[in-house]
Amino acid sequence: MTTLDTRPHITDEVPGNYLTFRRGILSWIFTLDHKRIGVMYLVAVLSSFFVGGVMALLVRTKLLFPGEVSWMTADQYNKAFTLHGAIMVFLVIIPSIPAALGNFVLPIMLGAKDVAFPRLNLFSFYLWVMGAACAVYSLLAGGFDTGWTFYTPYSSQFGAGGTIPVLVGVFILGFSSIFTGLNFIVTIHKLRPPGMTWFRMPLFLWAVYATAIIQVLATPVLGITVALLVVERAFNIGIFDASMGGDPVLFQHFFWFYSHPAVYIMILPGMGIISEIIAVHSHRHIFGFRFIAFSSIAIAIFSFLVWGHHMFTSGQSPLMNVLFSAITFSVAIPSAVKVFNWLATLYKGSISLNTTMLYGLAFIFLFTIGGLTGIPLAVLSTDIHLHDTYYVVAHFHYVMMGSALIAMVGGLHHWWPKMTGRMFSEFWGRIGCTLVFVGFNVTFFTQFMLGSQGMPRRYYAYQPEFKMYHHISTGGSYIMGIGFVITAIYLIHSLFAGKKAPANPWGGASLEWQCSSPPPHDNFATTPRVGDCYDFSAVHWDEKLQGYVVDTEAHVAAARSDSASGKGH
Amino acid sequence: MVRERETPFDDEQARFSAGVLGMWILLAVLAVLFVAAILGYLAVRIDNGSAFIPANAPSLPLLLLVSTAFLVLSSLTMQMALRAARTGGASQGRMMMATLGLALGFLVVQALAWRGLLAEDFGPTGSLYAWTFFVLTALHGAHVVGGLPPMVITTWRASRGAYTPENHRGIAYCAMYWHFLDGAWLVLYATIWLGSIR
Repeated sequence: MTTLDTRPHITDEVPGNYLTFRRGILSWIFTLDHKRIGVMYLVAVLSSFFVGGVMALLVRTKLLFPGEVSWMTADQYNKAFTLHGAIMVFLVIIPSIPAALGNFVLPIMLGAKDVAFPRLNLFSFYLWVMGAACAVYSLLAGGFDTGWTFYTPYSSQFGAGGTIPVLVGVFILGFSSIFTGLNFIVTIHKLRPPGMTWFRMPLFLWAVYATAIIQVLATPVLGITVALLVVERAFNIGIFDASMGGDPVLFQHFFWFYSHPAVYIMILPGMGIISEIIAVHSHRHIFGFRFIAFSSIAIAIFSFLVWGHHMFTSGQSPLMNVLFSAITFSVAIPSAVKVFNWLATLYKGSISLNTTMLYGLAFIFLFTIGGLTGIPLAVLSTDIHLHDTYYVVAHFHYVMMGSALIAMVGGLHHWWPKMTGRMFSEFWGRIGCTLVFVGFNVTFFTQFMLGSQGMPRRYYAYQPEFKMYHHISTGGSYIMGIGFVITAIYLIHSLFAGKKAPANPWGGASLEWQCSSPPPHDNFATTPRVGDCYDFSAVHWDEKLQGYVVDTEAHVAAARSDSASGKGH
Repeated sequence: MVRERETPFDDEQARFSAGVLGMWILLAVLAVLFVAAILGYLAVRIDNGSAFIPANAPSLPLLLLVSTAFLVLSSLTMQMALRAARTGGASQGRMMMATLGLALGFLVVQALAWRGLLAEDFGPTGSLYAWTFFVLTALHGAHVVGGLPPMVITTWRASRGAYTPENHRGIAYCAMYWHFLDGAWLVLYATIWLGSIR
């Protein structure tokens, strides 16, 4: 291989990228640059992921033993799994893709200089920091042991001393999420350059747009719910208090009216990333663009109509149960539309089996399992048996972790060269991905067995017959942990010793691959010209640059003739 | 030091139209929040029927009619301030001042209504009926208080004639928020009033 230092127009030659545009700690703290804010979010989210991951490993390690252990009491166990869940949901998965990766790539993919409201964007980040600080304070004030769902009356009348601070934190984090969504909707509406029509927009942006709609319309319900809960806990009276004529199940309705859509806040942007990864790394035009795009919107709409499927055993009326069950089944349609279109894109593609693509394929595999195992939970009769067992735990980990987080890690690899200007080690990347994939399945597939045999979730102790499964599951979590540690090591190593990244290392055709790596402060010197972001015919490997180049003239011309002949997508 | 860009928009008009869309989304967020609160109230109110209202509960304070009048009037003066700003008129400052005064008046009257209820021993922790009244009015009041800082800044700028036909973004956003709070209060008041009928 040629030595890389001899290559022209690589990052060093670019007069200042976003990292060198201004220097000093203050230039980061007060930055209005969407790329820097994205990077700050990324660091914050990944740090939280580390803490949440350590909590998960502690919980799994405790479960090696069926009874009491000296180093973790039952109360501490309750706090550990609550902390794991709350951190992973509110501090990691919800902001990970939109706020961290989305912030970085959305304006560039769109061809804009920044998000519509840069100051609001920075404010969102600091709201996140404040929310996280509340969670930390809550730990000092006695922690919280309600489970991440904060069900009343336990949360309103009992629960550990740190419940109010963490609820305040969740409230603040909600507004951080709302402002990010608001910013993205306005950016996509108002900052598309000429030629960037809705159907020329990359599918990641469609997904983030659909996500933003949910963030904006569902999160306020969480806000008012936790606000009412805080006041109720503080004054010992409120609408969730049955002794006063209130209704604790009302809390569940309110909570899931947000938290079910929140599941799609987590998964939709992940699906968007997968659409990018599958197309770019199989070097083939995405199959069924409009179907994938509209299925994102369909999922966003359905997401508001299925919250009751979390409450089949809560005593809501049988008619409601039947309706929620039926609507829940319909979510399978847009989800399957996506999976089939990704598979059709892979078919006869020129697939690069690199780390990023491995994560993409892992997503399709794990998401399919996660989706199909949801069916027995949507069926009323089987759900009565499976409700609140490890089966549910396994199901949502396949969707939340095996899908949303794996997509996030895949996206991190996909855009890593763009964000940092460095290439990571493919060798270690593949090893890391394989370990995570294997470890994940060992951990959570086992839990389907545990749950279907009746092991309830959140229990500190268990019957001897479950011991083998718990041991296998814990072993899997260690494998996964090693995989993530390896991933962290080679990514950090690449910052210092990685090869310099070309502008377009994978052969992408969307706009972010047409500015340098890392991008300059303004993203684009001139308004970029927009072609079909999934048309790879004008993308060629350049030996000298050790990267791909897009022949812009041919690329844009092809898109024009397509729209003229009505082919388009 | 190189200054960072505060907005990605090149022209004022595009920036304004993005700002208006952003405000509409913000109002949608707040609308969802109020609607959820109202639905929560209705759920417990309807569940309990007339037993929801304790036998000794006083009727709704008549002062609420006064505060409602203040808020509706403030919406009118706000609109007049906006109209003046659109034409670069000098009355923008006076009208904003009037709006701010009426807003403070609204809060004072709401507080008096609260004090009256407390004096009648109808405190928020006595019954869920009283509780929901205090929580719903406090929810709205908090949004009025939250609107005061931008309102004060806008008033100060308007009194210096800062808003012109070309650039009146600040006062326009303020007006959107204020009209929303007005509408939200009317819906909330109607709900509370209906809920107070046995």
